[in-house]
Amino acid sequence: MLTPVTLADYLPIAVMLVLAAGFVAVTLVASRLVRPDNPTPEKLAPYESGILPEHEPSQRFPVKFYLVAMLFVIFDVEIIFYFAYAVIWTDLGWYGVAAMLLFTFFVAETLAYVWKRGALDWNVHQRRRYIDREAA
Amino acid sequence: MNFEVDYLALAPELVVVGTILLVLALDLVLPRPRKYWTATVAVAGTALALLPLAAMAIEGTTRSMFDGSFVVDQFALVLKGLFLIAGYVVFLMSHHYIESDRYYQGEYYLLLLASILGSLVMSSARDLIVLFVGIELTTGPLYMLAGWRKGDVKSNEASMKYFILGVLSTAILLYGMSLLFGLTGEVTFAGIAEATAGRAGEPLLTMAVLFMIVGFGFKVSAVPFHFWAPDTYEGAPTPVTAYLSVNSKAAGFVAMLLVLYLAVPDLSQVWAPALWVLAALSMTLGNLSAIRQNNIVRLLAYSSIAQAGFMMVPFAAAAVAGADLEEAFSATVIYMVIYAVMNLGAFAAVIAGARTTQSGEIPAWAGLGRADPRIGVLVLIFFFSLAGIPPLAGWFAKFVMFRSVIIAGGTATVVLAIIAALNAVVSYYYYARVVKTVWMDPATTDLQVQEPAGSLRLALGVAVVLTVLIGLYPAATTFVTEASKVLATGG
Repeated sequence: MLTPVTLADYLPIAVMLVLAAGFVAVTLVASRLVRPDNPTPEKLAPYESGILPEHEPSQRFPVKFYLVAMLFVIFDVEIIFYFAYAVIWTDLGWYGVAAMLLFTFFVAETLAYVWKRGALDWNVHQRRRYIDREAA
Repeated sequence: MNFEVDYLALAPELVVVGTILLVLALDLVLPRPRKYWTATVAVAGTALALLPLAAMAIEGTTRSMFDGSFVVDQFALVLKGLFLIAGYVVFLMSHHYIESDRYYQGEYYLLLLASILGSLVMSSARDLIVLFVGIELTTGPLYMLAGWRKGDVKSNEASMKYFILGVLSTAILLYGMSLLFGLTGEVTFAGIAEATAGRAGEPLLTMAVLFMIVGFGFKVSAVPFHFWAPDTYEGAPTPVTAYLSVNSKAAGFVAMLLVLYLAVPDLSQVWAPALWVLAALSMTLGNLSAIRQNNIVRLLAYSSIAQAGFMMVPFAAAAVAGADLEEAFSATVIYMVIYAVMNLGAFAAVIAGARTTQSGEIPAWAGLGRADPRIGVLVLIFFFSLAGIPPLAGWFAKFVMFRSVIIAGGTATVVLAIIAALNAVVSYYYYARVVKTVWMDPATTDLQVQEPAGSLRLALGVAVVLTVLIGLYPAATTFVTEASKVLATGG
């Protein structure tokens, strides 16, 4: 059975809300009063990380590093489990061996998948051919 | 520490894991024309996972593992059954939809299976870590599935919005959990409940609970955390949208209720008003926005936001009134089950109808009822059921909801009930408008009737039988009502 609600607990939250809103209002008003007002089109444009490019790059370049780095992180984390196992393998006995073999199988299957899908091919054009062949 | 593993209790999850590995392996070795086998295996695997569930349901004992972090009680069994059956229906809906896609069929089923696995784990979670891992495994694959149509800008937008807001909500949720852990030094729900007993009113605990509600609010797309939902629902492939609006929403709900009910019951002073506001806002804004929609999937998106509000009503009402939460819990669960059935049906009918009308815009659906009466009747059944018109399943969901509110009693509760009743009336308008367009408006173009694929027909059949059956004979759901009261804390 619970006690009926009184909303008394919401007092600190309400105080927080008032403080937060007040902080924003004070900052905006104060900076408007203090700062010089000199708007230019560049200043008024919404910020989008970095400077706008003058022209499109002449050729597309592949971002292979990103894929390899991501795969590395995934497999690295998976392999970390082996270290934990190596510390207490005597205590776990055959149960531990079976569990680690199963785990190794999972990792191996993922690796096979990545390989077959062409994620390990450094040459992107080859990979594209594989996908086209697959789709045909 | 107790490391005994109860393999029967884990069997549904293990079967799904096995299916995932098999689908992955098959996808690698099968030549392109035979890839449909991955779908067959995925469907068979979900069906197979129901067997251990049935065995445990017949046996009827509560199983607890890993120091009470993972509990399989009647409540968990019902939810796992719901997630598996809903997943099964989504697979049936996906079959032809995805086969027309050029590549990556195997991956589609693999990701959906991974998401189902997450929701299975989450139903049994009785500690913050297991719950968090479960709910992240549920939503993680969906970020990719929402963007499945890579060439379609809308699908990209769907994925991007869902991902960014999903990650934001995860961060907020995790912040709340870390505060809760820091203040109590416990991760199990039972431990937290003990440590927070009688500590209502501590500001940091209030913050922790509110942060978690905000995080879960994003996951269930409750107003005011719903902005991602319509765009994501519209852009994602329709079977994925069906999955999002049923499985992923239900998973978020269950996680929220588990945490609030089992871990911080003594802080109901904090979360009851928050839930009350979320429920009232979700119903009102969801329904009012749905009226203006012209795209049928967007309409269903807003309708699902509104339905989420209805789902929250019993729990919010009982907690605000300080009444017994058990009744409210089973009312919410029964609403969730019925909603899952009729909403999946509505999406399956939309997929079937869109093949004939070639459009997702509601005006283009004019004359569908005359061109293809079967799809017309199905649209009528599912949309009227969502509206809550007897004798379809939806009326019973609404009935249970209002009954639990009346049991709770109290002024705030009655106000919420009035808001709910008004919203139920509003919702008739837009559900009926779709049915009116399909049956009464003259066709604008000559509709070429497209036969729905066999698996889609099966999905429609399952949904329509359940919708009519539950509506005519609500006692069929008694086991759900009873089972959802057997909620073990583990501990």
